Amino acid sequence: MSTTRDYDRGRYAREQDLYPAEPGPADYESDVYPDAGIYRDDWGDEGKPVADHQPRRRWSKIVDEWMEGRIKFGGTGVKRKTAALLLLGAWGFLPLFFMLPSLFTFNTNTIGGSVDDTLGTGAMVNLFMCLLITPAVTLTGQRWFVPLRRWYGIMFACCGIGDALGAAFFDDFAGSPFAKLVEHTFTLIGFLMVLLAIPLFITGNNWAQRKLGRYWKTLQRLTYVIWGLLFFHLATLEGFGFQRGSNGSGFAGDGDAIFHQRLYEYCACSLFLLTIRIPPVKRWITARQEEGRTRLVFIAVMPIFALFVFGFIFIVNELIFKGTHSFVENPSSE
Amino acid sequence: MRDLMNESYAERGYAERGYARRSQKSTKAEKSTRTGGVILAAVSLLSSFLVIWGLYYATGTGERHKVALAAAGCEPNLLSVNVGCTTVWMLEKQWTQLTTSDLQQLNADVADYTVSSRRNLAQAESALTAEMTTAKAFDVSLARFPFPPAVAPAARALMQAIDARVNLTTEQARSSSLAQLRSFNGRVRASSAAIQTDLKLVRKALYTRPTVDQEP
Repeated sequence: MSTTRDYDRGRYAREQDLYPAEPGPADYESDVYPDAGIYRDDWGDEGKPVADHQPRRRWSKIVDEWMEGRIKFGGTGVKRKTAALLLLGAWGFLPLFFMLPSLFTFNTNTIGGSVDDTLGTGAMVNLFMCLLITPAVTLTGQRWFVPLRRWYGIMFACCGIGDALGAAFFDDFAGSPFAKLVEHTFTLIGFLMVLLAIPLFITGNNWAQRKLGRYWKTLQRLTYVIWGLLFFHLATLEGFGFQRGSNGSGFAGDGDAIFHQRLYEYCACSLFLLTIRIPPVKRWITARQEEGRTRLVFIAVMPIFALFVFGFIFIVNELIFKGTHSFVENPSSE
Repeated sequence: MRDLMNESYAERGYAERGYARRSQKSTKAEKSTRTGGVILAAVSLLSSFLVIWGLYYATGTGERHKVALAAAGCEPNLLSVNVGCTTVWMLEKQWTQLTTSDLQQLNADVADYTVSSRRNLAQAESALTAEMTTAKAFDVSLARFPFPPAVAPAARALMQAIDARVNLTTEQARSSSLAQLRSFNGRVRASSAAIQTDLKLVRKALYTRPTVDQEP
């Protein structure tokens, strides 16, 4: 028989530990209402709240349960959740897919010319998608998409490592592969990010989770360090967001120079991801949801989410534009 | 009876203390959620402002696009999906990418030949074959390069010079002795000088902004 202490010692994987890079609703609810015990198993019949008092929980549970259902597909059936996860997760592979032709043909010109743009931007997209899962759980209360966090995290690491390898062996910079990775401030920061991503990549599986126990969660929090380092990587890469002639990513002839500044895109996306993670904000959201005022939550969050979308579409635009050029092995020189 | 009374007092005491503790905690939680609300409202306001400003900024895209085309020295005949033109800067970058590796390889092949032409016929011939392969690949890359009309004549001259050099090298590689091999050196040097001159001309033409009458 396993006890709570056993869990704390990391001997057994709890259900919430299967995807616990960050606390899910079950973790933080108990902090907000420590005595309410809504999510405790030791309810007596007397104090148990009526299900109708939990509109958000009820709705999110319905969606989670619906996702467990099956879609009939010819003679067999596929879980709705599996189909949805595959559809959503496939996009994470897109940056690597763009680079496949040049890898198969070993086209060093394309790899050297666009690996940083395609895989670097792809890593950024995957990191943001990975970081988006927790706010999405906080806001919707649903958990069916939580496995995507691990998938996007793995894809982020693959893109990041690929970017570093491409930069080390095929970039125009002078010196040995290692020198190429550390000779500029932005490459050094990028290299650090990749170094931090490697342990996350290696431990991104159930076996490592069981072995590391409670330390696994702490280790996975390195994601936040990478997120922070990305700011400095982009800041030093793009001249701290100030365009100087053709130096900086805002040098675009389409008239939207500001939208193409990757540092601004990063800030626009991070504002949403960061705000929803601030504990008092999270508590406010949960409290309003418990009161059944979900509309108020959505109204309050909508502008921040709109800003996230604003920034994110330009990152995706960059990825698709540079990626398609890489795919046809004609690397973009923009 | 006494015990029962004690118990009931004790229970009431616990209940009161529990209530006080609970109400303290709930006040704390309320304060905390209030802070969260204030933070969220502030960030939300800032975001609204930024989104509105972004949309307003986006309305001026067309005008800025025209200005950017003029400022960046665009070649409107060469379409690029995102930008709508290929800038001189972009052409420069493409040109550098194209020439750097091929010219380095050609120079290495020539150096190989120079060393082996003094003592080993077979090695010298293999160096010449490698040189021919690189030169042909460079020629193919040049044929695919999107030269603007103003640069096209210089580029054609460069490709012809490379073809001439390839023909000469083919002939040279058929030599049956080292002396015969070396006899081509003078003509090869002249051919190399012609390629160098054409390369400089193409580079200069690429790096120069087109004049108004050159625009299509």
